[in-house]
Amino acid sequence: MNDCPNADMRDLLPDLVNGRLDAEARAAVEAHVAGCADCRAEVALLRAVRSAMHISPALDLSAIASAIPAYRAPVRRSWVGWRLAAAVTLLVAGGSSVVLLNRAPSASVSVAVTKMAPVAEPIVAAAIPAVRPSVDSVATAPVVSPAPAYGRPAAVPAVGHELAMAGGSLTDLSDGELDALLRDIESLDAVTTTDVDVPVISPIPPAAAGRGAP
Amino acid sequence: MPDVAEGSDDQTDLDLIARWKGGDERAASLLVERHAAAVARFAVSVGAKGDVQDIVQDTFVRAFGSLDTFRGDSSLRTWLFTIARRLLLDLRRSERRRGEQVEVQAHDAVTEYDALHSVVAAETRTRLHAAVARLSKTQREVFMLRVNEGLSYKEIADVASTTEGAARVHYHNAMRAIKEFLDE
Repeated sequence: MNDCPNADMRDLLPDLVNGRLDAEARAAVEAHVAGCADCRAEVALLRAVRSAMHISPALDLSAIASAIPAYRAPVRRSWVGWRLAAAVTLLVAGGSSVVLLNRAPSASVSVAVTKMAPVAEPIVAAAIPAVRPSVDSVATAPVVSPAPAYGRPAAVPAVGHELAMAGGSLTDLSDGELDALLRDIESLDAVTTTDVDVPVISPIPPAAAGRGAP
Repeated sequence: MPDVAEGSDDQTDLDLIARWKGGDERAASLLVERHAAAVARFAVSVGAKGDVQDIVQDTFVRAFGSLDTFRGDSSLRTWLFTIARRLLLDLRRSERRRGEQVEVQAHDAVTEYDALHSVVAAETRTRLHAAVARLSKTQREVFMLRVNEGLSYKEIADVASTTEGAARVHYHNAMRAIKEFLDE
């Protein structure tokens, strides 16, 4: 059995056997086959192979069909949801920033007070109202009271207690001083322990720095 | 077994898939009726033995489980062949790990084909079975997809993870080998 030299036609013979040619191509191939003994023999062989091999094992189609689960649409992440979440996050972050900026002096004071707490009694009582109004004074507050507090053990139970003990005894404080102390304790509880507001501290202008230099 | 030709009725495969996604389970049954026999033939041609029902069933279950990834770039039948082929490869690997004999030898294939169609007694048919069985695994796979299922070289390349050109070469080498065997 020989091969037809027309490779293009030979390539189409399986399509002819399987009925996969459109009308035009089918007519062309059939016309070629009619005049080509090699292709006729090959088509006969292909049909014989297809007839002999086109055998399907017995299948239980209903079992196969019943094994197929019902359709479940895939869960898709919604871009709207992501956008909404991002917007809420932005609003919360922005709002928090505004609140922190507005409370920055108080926070700074609180930090300063915390650091100053173990220092002697008069400093605690005086430092709170003195430092509160001015950002500049907040920045200088730790300098005003060189802190022996840094040498203390870190494990102090509570700030309020420390403030009171630094003054000797709660009974020594007047009602007004106690009220002021309680207010400051409350403000300490509400203030974060990080992010001291660095930008409010005015940098020294270069000119002033130059004047101060030796 | 009746083998409903692909797209032979008014409903295309994509129509039936859409119906199934809409909750029509009968559409899945129609797709099974349309393609199961072809998947079974393909599975046998690439070496499936007594587990053809399981292979075909797993193929459909897996296919329907991931139909959302089927874009219709190839025909559904080609896609099913691809899934069946992967399942068979996985099966062979697991059998190999268990040390079982998995490579389909020539005489095994002849026996398999005979078992599948016990009424085949004519000498011509027997010789054809033997000729096909003597092909290499890849040649047999490509040849059967081309002759039995009528797939194009492009579709065969998709199923067999090869190139269109390689599929063409495998087909013609297979045809030459069969002719030589029958001429002996």
